[in-house]
This record gives sequence, C-alpha cells and structure tokens, in this order.
Amino acid sequence: MRGIQLPLSQTQKVRLQKTLEQLESLSSKVNSDASVIIADSIPVNHEDGVLKGHGTADLNGEVVATVCGVVERVNKLVYVRALRSRYKPEVGDIVIGRVAEVAQKRWRLDINFNQDAVLMLSSMNMPDGVQRRRTALDELNMRCIFEENDVVCAEVRGFQHDGLHLQARSRKYGKLNRGQLLTVPPYLVKRQKQHFHHLEEFGVDLILGCNGFIWVGEHIEAKDDMVEDQVSQSDPPVLLHNSASLEEQEKNYTILEIRKYICRAANAVRVLSILGFNVTLEIIKGIIDLSLSMNLDIHEMLGSEFCVLVAEKEAERRSSNKKKR
Amino acid sequence: MVGLSLGEKHFIQGGIAHDLRCDGRKRLTYRPILVETGVIPQANGSARVRMGATDVIASIKAELGKPSLLQPDKGKVSIYIDCSSTAEPAFEGRGGDELAAELSNALQDCLLGGKSGAGAGVDLSSLIVVEGKICWDLYIDGLVVSSDGNLLDALGAAIKAALCNTGIPRVQVAAGASNDEQPEVDVSDEEFLQFDTSGVPVIVTLTKIGRHYIVDATSEEESQMNSAVSISVNRQGHICGITKRGGVGLDPSIILDMISVAKHVSEQLMNKLDSEIASAEAEDES
Repeated sequence: MRGIQLPLSQTQKVRLQKTLEQLESLSSKVNSDASVIIADSIPVNHEDGVLKGHGTADLNGEVVATVCGVVERVNKLVYVRALRSRYKPEVGDIVIGRVAEVAQKRWRLDINFNQDAVLMLSSMNMPDGVQRRRTALDELNMRCIFEENDVVCAEVRGFQHDGLHLQARSRKYGKLNRGQLLTVPPYLVKRQKQHFHHLEEFGVDLILGCNGFIWVGEHIEAKDDMVEDQVSQSDPPVLLHNSASLEEQEKNYTILEIRKYICRAANAVRVLSILGFNVTLEIIKGIIDLSLSMNLDIHEMLGSEFCVLVAEKEAERRSSNKKKR
Repeated sequence: MVGLSLGEKHFIQGGIAHDLRCDGRKRLTYRPILVETGVIPQANGSARVRMGATDVIASIKAELGKPSLLQPDKGKVSIYIDCSSTAEPAFEGRGGDELAAELSNALQDCLLGGKSGAGAGVDLSSLIVVEGKICWDLYIDGLVVSSDGNLLDALGAAIKAALCNTGIPRVQVAAGASNDEQPEVDVSDEEFLQFDTSGVPVIVTLTKIGRHYIVDATSEEESQMNSAVSISVNRQGHICGITKRGGVGLDPSIILDMISVAKHVSEQLMNKLDSEIASAEAEDES
C-alpha cells in the first residue's frame, strides 16, 4: 500500500484501501502521458536532434526513462524529473537549513540538496540592522550570529560558480529557536505564495521549507530594528553569564499551553508525511481541529486509527473541492 | 544523527520537564510497536520489530553441536548484533562495531543470565539432546536496520518475538550407540518443538534527561541524556539484569526509584508485546 507502514486492523486496512482508491480516482489524468516509469520509451522527434538529459538513456535507438517521474522538455533537451528525489532548489524558494560549517565569510548549510548551500556573511542583514561593509571583526564574530547545528531559515538566491547561494535579507529570515524541526520528503511541500505561517489561535509559528524541512515553534514577534538593537546588545553577556540559571530560565520559556499546540501541529505534519499527502497550512489546520474536536491525546494522533481518519477526511475534502469546480 | 541547535536542545529538555515530549508523548509512554514474525524463511525463528523509526530484525538459527565440558547438560546460546550502515552513516565500515559490541554484551547480560546459565530467559537444559554429546546451539543474530533511539529495548523485544516464533526440529537419537562414540541422529523436518518463552524478560531502558527519566527515547532525546539504565524484568516482576550507559553518575536512591518504575512499565510492555506477538503469529500462520 504505497509503503504506508502502520499497524492496521483488518477494518482499518479496508477503509484505507478504499480511501486511497477514491483519492486515485479523484486525481487529474491530464498529464498522465507525461509521467513515465522506468524503461518507458519517451517519444521524441529524432529529426530535430535530441539532447538526452537526466533520467534518460539510449536503448536500441529509443530514448527510455531510467527513473520514475515526469518528462520535461526544454527545446532539444529531454529529461525526466524524478518523483522521489532530493530537493531541487529554485530561485526564490524559502528553505530551512542546518549550519554544517562556519567557513571564511560564509556558512555552509545542509538543506537536503546534493551539495551544501552557501550563505555569505555579506548576503544577510547584520543583527544591528546597519548597512555597511563587513569588517574582519564581523568575520571573527560570525559564530555569534549562527553556530554549527543552528537551524536557519533563508531564501535561495541562485547558483554561483562555487555552488548554491542563499540570502537572508529580511527580519523574517534567520535563526529559529524554541521549537522543533521536522523533515518530510521534499515533494510533499509545494511552492506557495506564503511559507511563513502564524497560527494565531495557537500562538505557533509554522514555516514550510521547500526542501522538506518544516519548523514548528513558538511564535516570535518580528521586532522593530531599534528594539532588536537593544535586545541583541543586552543578550550576549547573559548568554555567557551563567549557563545553569539560563537553562532553568529557558526551560520555563515555552509554556505548556503553547507547547501542546506545537506538538499537535508537529504531529499533524508527521501524519501527513506518513500518509504521503501534501503539507499545506489548510490541511494542517484541519487535522489540528479534527484532533481537538475528537479530544485526542497528542501522541494518539500518530496511531493508525487517526491516520485512517485523516485519509478519509482528505478524500472527502478533495471530492467536495472537485464538485465545486 | 545530526547535531541539534541550542534552541532545539532546550525545547527537548523543557518538554521532558513539562511531561510533554516533542511527539506529544508523556515520559512513560511508548511509541507504537509493530511486530512481524517469520520474516526470514531460512531461519528457525525470526521477527522484526519497529518502534517509530527504529527498525530491528532478529533471527534465530539452531544448529546441532557439542555441549561444553563444564556444562554437559546444557545447550549454548550466543547473541550477535550487527549495526547496518543503512541505519546511520556513522555505522559505515567499522563505525558500528563499538555500538554493536555494547548492545551484544548488554543483551547477553539481560537475557542469558549468569555464567552457569541459571536464571536465563531461555532454559538451556531444554536444548540438550544427548547429555554430554549433542545439544542445540542457538545463534541469535540481531540487525539494526534503522536507528531512532531505544535500540536495546527494540532488540530485546525482537529477540523475544523471534524466540516465540522459533521451532526446533525434533531429533531422533539412534539407540544402541556405545558410550564413547558420537550417536547418530535423525533430524525431523516436519515436527518442530516450540520454546517455552514465558521466562524471557523484556528490557526497559530509562533515559535520564535533566531531573527526569523517560522510556523509549528517540535519538534526539538520547543525544541529550545524562545516563541511561536498562533493566530487564521477567513476567514475575523479577529483575534479570541491569546495565548502565552514559558517563554521569546516579544516586543510589534514584536507581531504586527507576527500578520500581521499570517494573511497573515492564508489565504494560510485556502485555502489549505478547498481544502483538500473538497477532503477528496469527497473521504469519494465515
């Protein structure tokens, strides 16, 4: 069953099977001839000349697919975009990464791409908000901004000669604290107008990175530059001051109420990832409301009964959407 | 396992202090356990256990061998664990060997009882065919396919399930052989004997993070641990073995407290596991 691994009872199995069939019947068949599986031959016009790209091979004069995916054509180039693969960055994508290395004037970030992405010191706003040349002192203090293993949100700037470059030239980008990072397969996150979400009723921030990294954390007010200035000046001495007392302080930071909602939202994402459904704000909210209305314990959301229920709800939603059109 | 940022670490620690962990569990709640039995057809018994993203396989192979001179009335059981490099890049090459040896030793301590074999989960004298001459050697092999914390408990559960699944062929010993030569045997390939697995303990690992301890820690939570105590408890509620990992010391009173908690938790785990094994066996038969 599409690799869904859940301990299902017999009735749950039947229900899930039925739901998945229903979902399949709802899916659009428009591009069905563009999608190929391994060893499917791809129709090409040999007279114009063909450039074989990724995921294709030559077999007895025929172009065949070597991966499952969708055929894409750009002029003479024919390639197959694989359905399940690592993240393929596009300019303007909002991604979440983890700092792998602090190097000369740059951070290297793991963003689930074939190679590490580069965030230059010069392509991000300084904490003090002043636009100026980066000095050698700034370079020495790079670890005050991001350390190794920090979770950072940024935007894809484009490919340069030395790899994929990111930028973080706004308040909304930067380090993510107080929350949890989830990883889902990147194809489950579709590009949308909005990737930063604030669930006001829960006080939770939700960032859907296009690379399949999803951040669920406590809501942080985007502060004014001036206020931020004062805070950042007073913050570092405290950090060095006393780690034990800070720890106690930090523990009490995220209050239980908000933490419950963070966990609930995180589990909603986990359920979607188990089922292989697209991760969008609307669906996540739906799942949270469903679990709240059923009065479920948070950890029971990962149980098989709830997963089947979510699948059924999703099928219902899609079919009603279809009728509206 | 990638590192965690300071914010994430605090979030995990705070969650444990608040009794609400990252996936919504309480401190003493397990992840859903999934048991499959009979996954390896060539083995005498096998099982696969999944707890969240942790995935382990245990297989049991029985071979006829000679009992050791010191214990002529007992069979032999050995446990080997292998950490597959698919579980984690760090296990590649020789990287997993250290952890594998640690797990094998801990499982031997928890399941096989003392040097004499007394108090073992598997009754060694049931493995004897002809005293002093022939016995069954049980090779228990564990494979870590995917690792997301709590490997020891999962391996313990997998071995328990695999033992429930094991059938030892019935052996006919040719009568009339003289005392000093090796008797001839006839191994039946139709009749199998089941093990008595009621004595096999379950392992409960309590991971101490901050001032509290939790069961079934994920690898993120394990990265924050001070120390972890693994306690194996059998059906009677008796402690069969204790091992401790992690460098930070523990107050004796905390250990006593942990033992009573583990005893309580093990009852639930044992019942849960038994029902899972029973349903997996039923599925395997059908």
